[in-house]
Amino acid sequence: MWEVVKSVLAAFFGVQKEQRRCEDFQHGRAAVFITVGLLMAMLLVVLVALVAVVAAR
Amino acid sequence: MRTLLVWLAGGLSLAGSIQVAMANGWNMPVGVTELSGNIHSLHMTIFWICVAIGVVVFGVMFYSLFRYRHAKGAKAANFHENIVVEVVWTAIPLLILIGMAVPATATLKQMYDASEADLDILVTGQQWRWRYDYLGEDVAFTSNLGTPRAQIRGEEAFGENYLLEVDEPLVVPVNRKVRFLFTSDDVIHSWWVPDLAVKQDSVPGFINENWVRIDEPGVYRGQCAELCGKDHAFMPIVVHAMEEEAFDTWLADRRAAASQEAQGIDREWAMDELMERGEQVYTAVCVSCHQEDGSGNPPAFPALAGNQALLDDRDRHIDTVVDGVSGAAMPAFRSTLNPVEIAAVITYERNAWGNDSGDSVQPSEIAERLSD
Ligand code: HEC
Ligand SMILES: [Cu+2]
Repeated sequence: MWEVVKSVLAAFFGVQKEQRRCEDFQHGRAAVFITVGLLMAMLLVVLVALVAVVAAR
Repeated sequence: MRTLLVWLAGGLSLAGSIQVAMANGWNMPVGVTELSGNIHSLHMTIFWICVAIGVVVFGVMFYSLFRYRHAKGAKAANFHENIVVEVVWTAIPLLILIGMAVPATATLKQMYDASEADLDILVTGQQWRWRYDYLGEDVAFTSNLGTPRAQIRGEEAFGENYLLEVDEPLVVPVNRKVRFLFTSDDVIHSWWVPDLAVKQDSVPGFINENWVRIDEPGVYRGQCAELCGKDHAFMPIVVHAMEEEAFDTWLADRRAAASQEAQGIDREWAMDELMERGEQVYTAVCVSCHQEDGSGNPPAFPALAGNQALLDDRDRHIDTVVDGVSGAAMPAFRSTLNPVEIAAVITYERNAWGNDSGDSVQPSEIAERLSD
């Protein structure tokens, strides 16, 4: 699971090792990556909103 | 050594030409409010960051093009990925963006904080003038283009403030927070005064907010910044910022004048009084469509001079000016002109330019018509 999160984070940042990419495509399941991706996108929104709320005070 | 000197000279001349351009008024003005100063320095911060990025990126690019040119037998390096380089060139822009977002957000917060104002002014855009209502002060007036039509037609030399002058400027105090509420009666206009760092759309059916606290007394000029029809260029803005005491006196005088005009509704007005007032109103409000000599611009803008059908039908004349003509460009003046002004301008139209109906319209008659 931690591997999936790391790969999704790398995708958010936009840089990934070729070797890791191949591993993900051989072992991972697409549905897992998509779900984790969506969850972390939501987390990002919440995080940005929190920063905005703190900054607006 | 030589290349270094070339770079140094190039950098210095770039910075020099930027300074020259700014000194010649090509840059955004610093303005006369604390906020406009902040906006200006934010603008300059972002500008210099962009200049630095441009110099580094293009510098590396041109240096590489020159140093590793084909003529010298350079061979391209064919590698696929390099994690370190990729991380670096992603992280640096990210940090730069965050660095720009912090001051930008701080300034935006300040701009949007229109709370706790000392004075509220409702600014209404109209084709083609601005109307200012000092809310709660019983003072309201329209501010029309002050440049003589003869200058616009090229018959006279241009004045100093050609198309940047009005008959009645907006008057505001210095050192007090003035909140503007923007709306429009017809199409979208935009109230723009660069020295105050305010450019706000006025949209029919919406109220937008903005505010100023002016530091220096003075006259600041601006224009409508949203293409709004034929006379878009003819609805300038002039803001007269006064010392606080002078402003209070001005406001009290305006209030007194307004209540005097309100009393004028009940009395009988003489013909030449109405004609004089009517000519003022006509010149300020009606000329842009009906022309100085009442000749209009048929067929879209009918002539008023020699318009016998109109002279024969006094009621229709009153109705047209009070209610406008829906579906045509003729505005309703029931809420923008007071009864005295409406009565005077109708009387004027019925007796100017060889129209000699001989009849007058009294303010009391219009007041009654308006209360129906
Ligand atoms: C934005 C342009 C505009 C302005 C400003 C304007 N008018 Fe008009 N006016 C028109 C148009 C267009 C018509 C013709 C309407 C129609 O189709 O019947 C008209 C028609 C009239 C008529 C009726 C003429 C007729 O023969 O039926 C009168 C009277 C009149 N205007 C008076 C005024 C007065 C007084 C003012 C100033 C207080 C004024 N107008 C300002 C555009 C304008
Ligand atoms: Cu406009």
